[in-house]
Amino acid sequence: MVNQNGQGGSALGRGYRIGKLGVSLMGSYLGYQAQNLLLGKESQPQRRAHFQQAASRRVRDELGALKGPAMKFGQMLSMQTSFLPEEALQELAELQMRAPAMHATLARAQFKSALGKYPEEMFREFDAEPFAAASLGQVHRAITFKGEKVAVKIQYPAIRSAIENDLTLLRSATLPTRLTGHVSTAVLDEIARGLLEETDYLHEAKNLEYFRAGLGGLPYITVPRVYRELTTERVLTMSYVEGESLSNWLKRNPARDLRNLVGVRLCEAYETQVQRLKVLHADQHPGNYLFQPDGRIGLVDFGCVKRITYDIVELRRCYDQRSWRQSEAAARYFLAMVYGKSVPYRRARKILPLLEQWLDTYRPIGRTADIVIDFGNRSRLNPAAKEIKRQYQRQILQDKLIDPEYVFVVRADMGINHLLSELGATVNVSEIARRVSAMPAPLP
Amino acid sequence: MKAKTHPAPARWRTAKKTRPPRGKRSENKEKTRQAILRAALELFASQGFYRTTTKAVSRKAGIAEGTLFNYFKTKEDLALCFFERELDDVIQWYEHDSRIQTAALPEQLFAIIHRFLDRLAPYEEFIGAVYLRTLAPTSKLSPWSLQTKERSLRYLRFIRGILAKAEDAGDIPQVGDFGAHAFGLFHLAMLTYWLQDRSPGKGRTLALLDRCLNLGGHFLKKGGWEW
Repeated sequence: MVNQNGQGGSALGRGYRIGKLGVSLMGSYLGYQAQNLLLGKESQPQRRAHFQQAASRRVRDELGALKGPAMKFGQMLSMQTSFLPEEALQELAELQMRAPAMHATLARAQFKSALGKYPEEMFREFDAEPFAAASLGQVHRAITFKGEKVAVKIQYPAIRSAIENDLTLLRSATLPTRLTGHVSTAVLDEIARGLLEETDYLHEAKNLEYFRAGLGGLPYITVPRVYRELTTERVLTMSYVEGESLSNWLKRNPARDLRNLVGVRLCEAYETQVQRLKVLHADQHPGNYLFQPDGRIGLVDFGCVKRITYDIVELRRCYDQRSWRQSEAAARYFLAMVYGKSVPYRRARKILPLLEQWLDTYRPIGRTADIVIDFGNRSRLNPAAKEIKRQYQRQILQDKLIDPEYVFVVRADMGINHLLSELGATVNVSEIARRVSAMPAPLP
Repeated sequence: MKAKTHPAPARWRTAKKTRPPRGKRSENKEKTRQAILRAALELFASQGFYRTTTKAVSRKAGIAEGTLFNYFKTKEDLALCFFERELDDVIQWYEHDSRIQTAALPEQLFAIIHRFLDRLAPYEEFIGAVYLRTLAPTSKLSPWSLQTKERSLRYLRFIRGILAKAEDAGDIPQVGDFGAHAFGLFHLAMLTYWLQDRSPGKGRTLALLDRCLNLGGHFLKKGGWEW
């Protein structure tokens, strides 16, 4: 990650730049993005203008917030390894899951290629201009013959084979680092799985239906309905979810009570996902949430979700009881949760002092009252605690072979917290966690 | 002087006759013509171009074999007529679609090639079978043969007109006739790629087409050959 030579560019850095120049029309997705960075200085603003002119509320937020596997890839690499030069990482971070924009003719052609007919034959109305960018494609508004408003997500053509090519390249490019153990094959497999899953809209449809059923107990949450007959691997038709991005919603200066209500709801939906559905959005970012004036919340974009086996309730119990103090067995148990089983206890336990420091701020021992967090003030009030948390996370991530699921849960946690602090809500998180775990509703 | 007024060889003129004068009789004639073409295309697709006999075509179209020759002298003429019809369709469609005329140049060119491919899709097998043979210089169907000359010129003029508009608008530098020829070759290359493309929904062709045209448009914008 850090250029340890302290020079203008390592061999790897130079290789990276040269490789970037070499990519052209090879059918590479990352290559296309690199090409965009090289050539796109003029056309990028145009494309952006094109999008905005067409579009409404969500476009910019979503473009800004889209974090897909490519982003995840960069993040994971930067977390797990130190083998890429800084500049490469920065560019990787910019190469978010943003497929090239499709003009109306291409979108229409791709629609036919996927469904066998042109959009005007399948919908009463079809908006040729996209209203949002999506993972690997773009979203168009349409109205079905029955008069229902839908959002039609169209994937850029042949993106899957492009990504497959990239993965093959990536595997050979990372061979040395895999041999040294800096990048494990498991990590690559995980990245590959995530990326390829995201290219299959049928998979996303399945996710949508799972979430829709699982969150059905929360009446204020809207998850779009999938129109199976208008959905294939490359086109996903779902009911149109009203609402606007958080930043736009906040511009209306919603009352404090409403903000708190939305905060509670967000928290409750999140707890339901973690504790009961055991599936999470792979990236908890504001672009996945749409807010309505009455405080209802729409959840969109289920391209990349992750199943977790992690027992977050158990983790929190260990936190609160400082279970590792009780016995060595308890400490081993706790650390196995954090690191996975492969990190030796002797190495793992070094993290405990840092963890205790952090917990003393957040979850003080012997506390009987519920945790009520004023997310509006949190970040400003506790820079010290934040710093400790950051150190703690860095420490954990520096040790190789950490349990990826723990990283994932921590990241999701940070994501939702970030959302709540933007909202500036005051939320009794303990009460919500308790309520959700006591919910009797059967799971799908 | 006499040589100058000498009429073009007969086979040059056949193409001009594709648009018949109005009237019931010619209407019937056109109907028969279309029926023959339809029958022929079906047979080309199922039997292959070279194995289809004129006899089989006339039987399928429900006419006497002799009548067939009144319409088409050879099988190649049938195929030529088919391509002629496709070109007519694309030009007419372009001239009547005001949205596409004002779209960015890469999108216009994309739409033209895609329209061709989309219309050829039902006959893919037949085209795949004759395609390589037609590239032989001696083939009547070759894009460079005398028989296809007029069609080629019409196509090139059509493309030239689109490029000229972009030149006037300052979107691209002067590419002249050369630009139209280059695009024609690109079009052929894309047809070749399309015929070989086995990806679902021919998605790879769409992606390649889009990327090539965007990249080409970008380079041209930067100043033609001086980038």
